[in-house]
Amino acid sequence: MEPDAQLVQQCLRGEGPAWEELVRRHTRRVYNLCYRFTGNATDAQDLSQEVFLRIYRTLPSYRPAFGAFPTWLTSVTRNLLVDHYRRTRHDRVTDSIDDAMPVLEEKHSKARTPDRLAEAAELSVQLQRALARLSPELREAVILRDLQGLEYNEIQGVLAVPEGTVKSRINRGRIELARILEEMGVRPS
Amino acid sequence: MSWNCKISEERLSEYLDGMLSPSDAATFAAHAGGCADCSRLVARVGGLVGQLHKLEQLEEPPQLIQNILDATIGPRIQEEGWKKWFSWAPLLWQPRFVMGVVTVAATLAIVIHSSGITPAKIKRADFNPVSLYRSANRQVHLTYARSVKFVNDLRVVYEIQSRLQPEPSPASQPLPEPQPQQPSGTPQQKSEKDPPRDRSHMRSGSMFAVLLPANSPGSLIATLTRSAQ
Repeated sequence: MEPDAQLVQQCLRGEGPAWEELVRRHTRRVYNLCYRFTGNATDAQDLSQEVFLRIYRTLPSYRPAFGAFPTWLTSVTRNLLVDHYRRTRHDRVTDSIDDAMPVLEEKHSKARTPDRLAEAAELSVQLQRALARLSPELREAVILRDLQGLEYNEIQGVLAVPEGTVKSRINRGRIELARILEEMGVRPS
Repeated sequence: MSWNCKISEERLSEYLDGMLSPSDAATFAAHAGGCADCSRLVARVGGLVGQLHKLEQLEEPPQLIQNILDATIGPRIQEEGWKKWFSWAPLLWQPRFVMGVVTVAATLAIVIHSSGITPAKIKRADFNPVSLYRSANRQVHLTYARSVKFVNDLRVVYEIQSRLQPEPSPASQPLPEPQPQQPSGTPQQKSEKDPPRDRSHMRSGSMFAVLLPANSPGSLIATLTRSAQ
């Protein structure tokens, strides 16, 4: 049995430490997905908390046969992100994300030199800005594929759309993102 | 199907992700090799994908996990076992508390030293309740006697005493004539015969009697008692 499935079983038996372990294993993944999608650290934190709250409540309904736990977790996260996007659509006059860019990008490997660190942080910020200009459908496809490292069939499970749509969204998302970056003057290395 | 730029663009990601069949991949590569636009697109998007894959995950804020756990399973006791009982220990190192302890210790040291207790000479038997009572009683009496002696030894006190009660010299004051036949003596006459110090001695109580011998010339209390009569 996979560690996640085992932890879920332990959680269902009411073992608190198992839930804590499950949260520790997956918080970063969920937080990154939320952060890359919203571009806002505060929203990402709130949404991450909401995701785990929902997971905690619906854990008894989870069956390993439906798919791996991380896929289910990503699916719940994605649904909440879409809800959040729809909820806040009216609040957004523009899709400007510049103000919301935090200085959270400095957390990289300590072995890097300051120059490389600054370069990587700068790239991360620019990519985040470019991502914010993508439509939510293309944005989530690119994030799941290229930042979360999901396979096509996993993304298909998360988004609940046909395989062709997944391929198309990933492809269009990448091309669009490259075009935006080029507009911004960022050259691919 | 003839391969063209539109197809290349549509299947670009599949090519980059290695999902094309070998024959399609070869056709794609052949087309891109001969088409400047497609070759540029492949380089651009390929470079972007490489960058995205290299991008490291951000660290979540440190309090996030704790907040999630609080929101789901509720706030938990942070420290368990013996650590919980010593959670107040860091407070001891606050300067305010340390200063207080030092002050109290210095005060105790002064009090102990002035009361004549020598910590090095304390024996186990001294902690016997009887011994404690005796030594405390002795210490109280000694301290009282010392303080009385100190007061009486003051020059100003001695001066007052000597003014109030000039010491009669036995030579200047002749002894009264013995009057053997005086059966009906008044009580006043009787009292005159009694030495005044004896009366003061009796009125002052037994404690003063012990501490202040009746024949002490410098007894302030005795003098004051006498002068009040």
